[in-house]
Amino acid sequence: MDIEKKHFTCVTCPVGCEVDVELRDGSIVSIKGNKCDKVKEFVLQELKEPMRVLTTTVRIEGARWAMLPVRTDKSIPKRLFLQAIGELASIDLQAPVHISDVIKRDIAGSGANIVATRTMKRRSEAGRARQRNDASAG
Amino acid sequence: MQADVAVIGSGPAGLVAAIEASRSGAKNVLLLEREEELGGILKQCIHNGFGLEQFKKDYTGPEYAERLIEDLGKTGVRCFLNTMVTAISADRTITAVNSQNGVFQIEAKSVVLAMGCRERARGSIGIPGTRPAGVLTAGTAQRLVNIEGYLPGKEVVILGSGDIGLIMARRLTLEGARVKGVYEIMNYPGGLKRNIVQCLNDFNIPLYLSHTVTEIRGRERVEGVVVSKVDEKMQPIGGSDKFIQCDTLLLSVGLIPENELSKGAGIELSRTTNGPVTAETMETSVPGIFSCGNVSTVFDLVDYVAQTGMSAGRNAAGFAAGAWKENGGAVEVVAGENVRVVFPQRYCFRDDLTLYIRPARPVEKPVALSIAPVDISVKRLYARPNEMIRVKVSREKLEKVTGPIEVSITER
Repeated sequence: MDIEKKHFTCVTCPVGCEVDVELRDGSIVSIKGNKCDKVKEFVLQELKEPMRVLTTTVRIEGARWAMLPVRTDKSIPKRLFLQAIGELASIDLQAPVHISDVIKRDIAGSGANIVATRTMKRRSEAGRARQRNDASAG
Repeated sequence: MQADVAVIGSGPAGLVAAIEASRSGAKNVLLLEREEELGGILKQCIHNGFGLEQFKKDYTGPEYAERLIEDLGKTGVRCFLNTMVTAISADRTITAVNSQNGVFQIEAKSVVLAMGCRERARGSIGIPGTRPAGVLTAGTAQRLVNIEGYLPGKEVVILGSGDIGLIMARRLTLEGARVKGVYEIMNYPGGLKRNIVQCLNDFNIPLYLSHTVTEIRGRERVEGVVVSKVDEKMQPIGGSDKFIQCDTLLLSVGLIPENELSKGAGIELSRTTNGPVTAETMETSVPGIFSCGNVSTVFDLVDYVAQTGMSAGRNAAGFAAGAWKENGGAVEVVAGENVRVVFPQRYCFRDDLTLYIRPARPVEKPVALSIAPVDISVKRLYARPNEMIRVKVSREKLEKVTGPIEVSITER
């Protein structure tokens, strides 16, 4: 079998080693350029299925702002990102929303949920809070 | 109006400073914010990576802000929203304006500056060409996309590889725009490595080092830009120019600490950081006025911003309580070999000294960071201008120092 060569930048830590990996039948033959052993785990995961946290926004009605920031509550396969964004485009969301509220379960069949990353009050409540200056935070 | 501690700006530095001032015993703490909500720029930074050190959590910007705002709610800090500070005097009288109180003054025993930065725009870098719509800073695009719900363009070129530009390359791609490339005038990237990998490589967005935009074309709207290679003196190389069709040019070309108020108070500013010359206590050259976060110097990580906010808040509370003797003496902290920025710039023998150091040039070899005249040498695997190095030196080690403290980075 031919040897396949791949390059990775390990992001396990800020050093960010640039590593050259040789593969045969999908198995690692050699890794060069790494400064520690954690790189192997990183490369194996990247080969198998790159996993990332998705952060994006969802349109929301009745709030001060048009967009609610959201995230997945755990890493999902990177290849599902666009499908996830597509599913979120058709969501019908109304304020108020509280931080950590689940906006969509099992996004793109990943098993992860989309959760709100901030609290958004209804527009009228938000307006009153703005007028009540000199009040304590919240 | 009277205050023990008045904090100006409610981004991460201001929030942490206000919380810490209150926790340190200051009774009457005011937090002044020009926007209608607390949190500053955190609200539009919807990506994760915030608070890893401070809270041991991987928060997004809004989550991190909400966590701090919750902590603030447990203190007695009074917040003034929609309130613009227009002047500060050296005797710590603050002039502010809002639509309820009109123009009003606050006499503060101590003041914490936490106004942050603004972005460098087209005018600061002088790109030739026409002046069409579609040229905007990365942070403006971030606000439009993440808060207001507008996509600023469909075919995008990004000039500058600062972290905000990298984050926006990913963000715009996910929202359906095509990012044609990131062009960086230096021969090394401006942003953190994890952002190069997760924002560019993950989406096959090319990064061109030693390149810049030499012309903007289009009348009403951007129709494209001309990019050129640059030589080692950052001058465009003749014949290397290439036209790239696009409708939007994002600029991620650096941040400028926002120090108009500081200048008005007569605070000495540093020519390297463009922020106040600051002591380890975060006190500026004007007694009782402290500064923290990105208004002092541009930090890479919110954890560092928060740490300076904590120090400023604690010391501002101490100053307001009168528990603050005259500075016994101070020595300068100066940048030596291969150091572009060292912060703080002054040491007053009150606290331990936490140094934030930005290397001048990248060194991809083992380096030693040394602090003279004390015998301290810290080993690192590399030095990169896009990653600040933080080193803490205890007060005991510095007790006998009489001359300047010099920080340098050399290969070992």
